[in-house]
Amino acid sequence: MRIAVVGKGGAGKSVIAGTTARLLARDGKRVLALDSDLLPGLSISLGSGPDPVDPPLNQAAEKGENGRWRLRQGVNVVGAVKRYTTEAPDGVRLMQIGKSGKEGIQPIMGSINAYYKMVHRLKDAKTFRDWELVADLPAGPRQVAFDYAPFAETYLVVVQPGSQSALTARRVAKIARMRGGTEVRFVANRVKGKRDTAHVERLIGEQVFWSLPADEGVAEAERLGIAPIDHVPDSPTIAGIGELVAALASLEGQGQPMKSSNGVS
Amino acid sequence: MKIVVAGKGGAGKTTVSGTIARALARAGNPVLALDADANPMLGVSLGVGFEKTDMLNSVRQALDAGDVEHQPTVEGMVENFGTDAPDGVRLVVASRIDNDSPGCQCCGVSPDQILRELEHEYRMVICDLEAGIGTLTRMEPGNADVIVVVANPTAKALEVARRAVELADDLAEVVVLANRVRDDEDLKAITDVLGEDRELIVIPEDSVIAAADRDGTAPIDLDPDSPGVAAIIKLADRLAGAPVPA
Repeated sequence: MRIAVVGKGGAGKSVIAGTTARLLARDGKRVLALDSDLLPGLSISLGSGPDPVDPPLNQAAEKGENGRWRLRQGVNVVGAVKRYTTEAPDGVRLMQIGKSGKEGIQPIMGSINAYYKMVHRLKDAKTFRDWELVADLPAGPRQVAFDYAPFAETYLVVVQPGSQSALTARRVAKIARMRGGTEVRFVANRVKGKRDTAHVERLIGEQVFWSLPADEGVAEAERLGIAPIDHVPDSPTIAGIGELVAALASLEGQGQPMKSSNGVS
Repeated sequence: MKIVVAGKGGAGKTTVSGTIARALARAGNPVLALDADANPMLGVSLGVGFEKTDMLNSVRQALDAGDVEHQPTVEGMVENFGTDAPDGVRLVVASRIDNDSPGCQCCGVSPDQILRELEHEYRMVICDLEAGIGTLTRMEPGNADVIVVVANPTAKALEVARRAVELADDLAEVVVLANRVRDDEDLKAITDVLGEDRELIVIPEDSVIAAADRDGTAPIDLDPDSPGVAAIIKLADRLAGAPVPA
């Protein structure tokens, strides 16, 4: 599957993206996790340890004489995934933009430019046809609008039962749909029962594809900075994400949106 | 006076910004609330309402659509593009990304530019930033008087807050908020990362704030005396220079 996880900050995007990547890899799939956030998030939820100060992808691009960034000679998407990714648990490959700090984005401009070029080449690269691509986009609509996940066949819009989260979900979904050729599916997160799911549906004005339960174990993992799949592997949320992944997989190739389902009883 | 609010997405920036703005206005200050998030939602926590907030036009959009002539000054923009919120707060949305070919998001209406040029001698300006630290990396000293960094007791939010504080310290006076604190353990987690050499303003976890977000109302309208809302109001008094009872 080729998914981009989007939504408001704090809605649970990285936990869903990181756990999805790990579960797919455990299922024997080749998985490329994609992190285009300028701030740490996915690496924690994926369990891949602290983000490198000098991201490997910085090596993939250089500044030309005209002052514009370009890929280094001989760098293609297959080589980039081989050389400029890191290995996360369960064999997931992680490709990421560097993280912004006191010096702003200047020190990581190479990685940003290389990332953007790579995700656009991934879309049609034959080698990756049988890979699973899971992207975690930063909060809000910006990167959806600027096409940071052109390979995505499904946008998973994460929304929790609140106004700010729902407003973001509506806006992000609207922009994703302008692209065409993609499915938009809403995932209600931190849901305490059917009433919460119904509340989310009322706010967004559409059906929720899947609901994930509120989970104290995951909240604790977030406080500690540990991947939930490692900290509480048997928790309701991890089980729910497993069911979500299975539901998405069963839709592959059908091209038919499934009727609304609910992981919360 | 110009107050800028920064932090990780979901840390509570918008709730804090909206509540400070309303509290300052109630105390008699002229208040301009500037929504500098490309995903603008400040209207919700100001009490403008869910649907209306979703429809508020931004300065950028209005210019692009040709609805309004480009105003020669930032003050003109505020006059022409603002919306009235409760208690007399004036709300202005800088820029909103709402389509798949947004073009240049900065020309003429970047948050740092508006902050630079905005008249602030006679009023309080509260600016709610986009998630992360992007705008802080583009700001210069003098763009803001106070930068409020909102932290939560989670590893990710603390790391973002740490980076924000590092940048903000070179730009303005910094106030660090320990938001959504449930107990001593939560406070310790935040103090360990951010509070070694500075005072933390503690905003306790508050079900009223969650309920307000659920309903799409302003927390200050739902219950100004609930612990979380009261703590933000107290911070507003302090920012305005009012004497704070011990």
